[in-house]
Amino acid sequence: MKRALAVSNVHKSFGGVRAVRGVSLALEEGHVLGLIGPNGSGKTTLLNLIAGLAKPSKGEITLDGRRIDGLAPHRIVAAGIAKTHQIPRPFLSMTGRENVAVAALYGSNETRDLPEAMETAGRVLGLVGLAGKEDVASSSLTVQQRKRLEFARVLATGARILLLDEIFAGLSQDELRDAVALFARLQGELGFGALVVEHVMRAVLTVSQHVVVMEEGSKIAEGPPQEVVQNPAVIEAYLGPEAGRAPP
Amino acid sequence: MADFAALFLADLVLGLLLGCVLAVIAHGLNIIWGVAKVVNIAHGEFIMLGAYGAYFLYLYAGFNPLLSVPIDAAIGLAVGVGFYFGFLHRELRGKESMGLQSELVTLVSTFGLSLVIVNVAQSIWEHPVGILWSPGSAQIGPVLVPFGGLYVAVVSVALIALTDLFLTRTYLGNAIRAYTQDIPATQLMGINPTFVAAVGIGMGFSVTMAGGALLTVWLPTGIDPTRIGILYAPISFVIVVLGGPGKMWGSLVGGLTIGLIINVGQLFLGGNIALATAVAVLTLIPILLFRPEGILR
Amino acid sequence: MRRLSLRALGPTLLGILAFLGVLAAVAGWMPLVLLTLVINLLIFAALAYSINFITGLTGYVSFGHVLFMAVGGYGLAYGVGTLHWHPVAGVALGALVSLALALGIGAVTLRFRGVYFAIASQVTALAGFYIVLEIQELGGGQGIVLNVGFEPIAWFYTIWVILAIEVGITYWITHGRLGYGIRSIRADEDAAKTLGVHAAALKLVLFAISGLFAGAAGGVYYWQGSGIFPNDAFSLTFSLIMLAMIVIGGLGTLLGPLFGALAVYLSSQYFLTVLIGFEFVIIGLLVIVIALFLPEGIVGTLRKYVPELRGLIE
Repeated sequence: MKRALAVSNVHKSFGGVRAVRGVSLALEEGHVLGLIGPNGSGKTTLLNLIAGLAKPSKGEITLDGRRIDGLAPHRIVAAGIAKTHQIPRPFLSMTGRENVAVAALYGSNETRDLPEAMETAGRVLGLVGLAGKEDVASSSLTVQQRKRLEFARVLATGARILLLDEIFAGLSQDELRDAVALFARLQGELGFGALVVEHVMRAVLTVSQHVVVMEEGSKIAEGPPQEVVQNPAVIEAYLGPEAGRAPP
Repeated sequence: MADFAALFLADLVLGLLLGCVLAVIAHGLNIIWGVAKVVNIAHGEFIMLGAYGAYFLYLYAGFNPLLSVPIDAAIGLAVGVGFYFGFLHRELRGKESMGLQSELVTLVSTFGLSLVIVNVAQSIWEHPVGILWSPGSAQIGPVLVPFGGLYVAVVSVALIALTDLFLTRTYLGNAIRAYTQDIPATQLMGINPTFVAAVGIGMGFSVTMAGGALLTVWLPTGIDPTRIGILYAPISFVIVVLGGPGKMWGSLVGGLTIGLIINVGQLFLGGNIALATAVAVLTLIPILLFRPEGILR
Repeated sequence: MRRLSLRALGPTLLGILAFLGVLAAVAGWMPLVLLTLVINLLIFAALAYSINFITGLTGYVSFGHVLFMAVGGYGLAYGVGTLHWHPVAGVALGALVSLALALGIGAVTLRFRGVYFAIASQVTALAGFYIVLEIQELGGGQGIVLNVGFEPIAWFYTIWVILAIEVGITYWITHGRLGYGIRSIRADEDAAKTLGVHAAALKLVLFAISGLFAGAAGGVYYWQGSGIFPNDAFSLTFSLIMLAMIVIGGLGTLLGPLFGALAVYLSSQYFLTVLIGFEFVIIGLLVIVIALFLPEGIVGTLRKYVPELRGLIE
């Protein structure tokens, strides 16, 4: 298994706040890594560092052995890594199709031809379940639809590694089941790797091969999903000191 | 060498005196910016209106600029509230800040406003008009301290201190400060955001126009509509950015800095005040590049 | 290689090209008064299209655009007055210097957003004014007096070519890959970057184009006159007119700048005869009203509320 993305002892401080403290992780080609942890543990910051939206204070991030930390965001996308936003940010003045077309045109997938990009956009929107909504202004989409649009956009860039920030949040039981199934199917068919930041445990544990747990900027556990959830330190991080010592 | 030192000292003092007045006109912009999170491009023209106000009072009531300050301030309050409802209320309406489109709208509409005011003023007064007020001066060592400049500097600092007291010690003032930081929270406290915003903007314009009255002392060639707004708006903007947008005493720090750059700078530029002013205003670019939050930590 | 059918160009572009074509055909027969009017209309349209690149399409409000117009004028005046070149070469000189200046200034100021960029642009125009005052080769405070001949046909065809190229580039941008990148920057620059859009480069390209054409139009503007004088050349009123045209016409549209130029220029000509001195007050008021109540401009508002027209005008 090739090691695609490697984060080595990365630190990030904002003024006096140490948001990420010496975190290391590795993502194999085509694998899904779940990144969980309580609020404020630095997960989104870590995603931002990988995506080039911030520069690590210390440490390295490499892709296929090549250093990518400190590169501008568009270069990270060109290298094949694309990130969604926790709160969807569609281009409100454009339709869904146009939104995705931007990703197709400027992503790493080599599409430069406008009609081809529009066609790709339509196809990808169909894949994520937004068929029929392609040519509606994205400002009229619901929050859930906007989340799917976010996903469609990063897919359309042709990225081989997706950084997904809470894409399963706020779904009902049924919607969650469908979304997880859709993700698993697309991941199987298209073969992309993904770093999935999530709070919804069921989703993360189902789709990930490997899970990393963060708390207050540091990594406190990692391993296969079922192992990690039984780790006392992890339980303590989420539920408090008493819960960690309680019998499983 | 001694001559140069004397000139330097004199320019230093003048620079500080000028800087106080620049501080107060920038302070108005600082308040408006803090409340509405948007910049009034016509700021310079409202300074000009304050100056014209002082001129009227001088012409018809014999008031010197100091006496005009409270009246200009009162007019400014009314003008500011009007400006809020005319230009900002539609876009703001209790929101945190305007969207990108709204910011563009405000920028362009206030740009239009500034040129409307300038052209109206140009049509009314064909030549610059000014106030003649010479309360004398005192020679302190090598420096000739003009009393006019001194008095307005004192009043300027007093105005800034007054607004600071109002914003920190009164209920309404604190409500305004809360509004600038967290609108939903102020609403939860039962404060009407529209009222607070309108008063906040009114206060900003009040200080601006009062500042315009005080500025007349530093306009020996009179009020020139084609020059004054174009000059003092960027100067105010630079001062606010320099001192840090939203930081109340930043206006004073920024103002003094710019005043010094202009007056001391011209000494090194062969007496060319215009060039020194251009340099002062150009400091905006390096500040925005390297220290956008201002020089005050 | 796709076949380009004429119909695929769209009614708006065809309409504009037809309009320009008719003008070119009858130029030689027009009475002088009308020809002068048309020439100035085309100059203002060219200025409108130029600021449309950076403000309409990209969303960066430029208050200092008068700088490029003035630089273009000085390029012409220097080229003709000092270098004794043919005026068209002078126009080219002005345009190229404007381009270089836009690249230099844009590399710095485009890092700033929104109002910061707007004020920085105003500041650079102010700085440009003060700098020109000190340059003796450009006449310092006195400006440059020109003694070119009266050549309306030459003026017409020069500005016609400039405008036609601008319209073409605007069309190419709005219908191609670059247009999507620019629109995404205007909609949400940071989100655009996360999708691979090299925002800094795209913005600079558009700013450079806008400077180039403002300079070219400025060159022709001053070719018609008797000289260029700094006090007037750097007047912010020109910036206002440019913004007014695209705000009234419709930001970022293909037809908007032409429409806006017609509206602003023709009405200023009318007001000139009726209310001398007040025409800029009226234009300013119009800008305020349109910006506040019809922010998409006439073209944008029509497209929004009259769906039948969406296929026709853009």
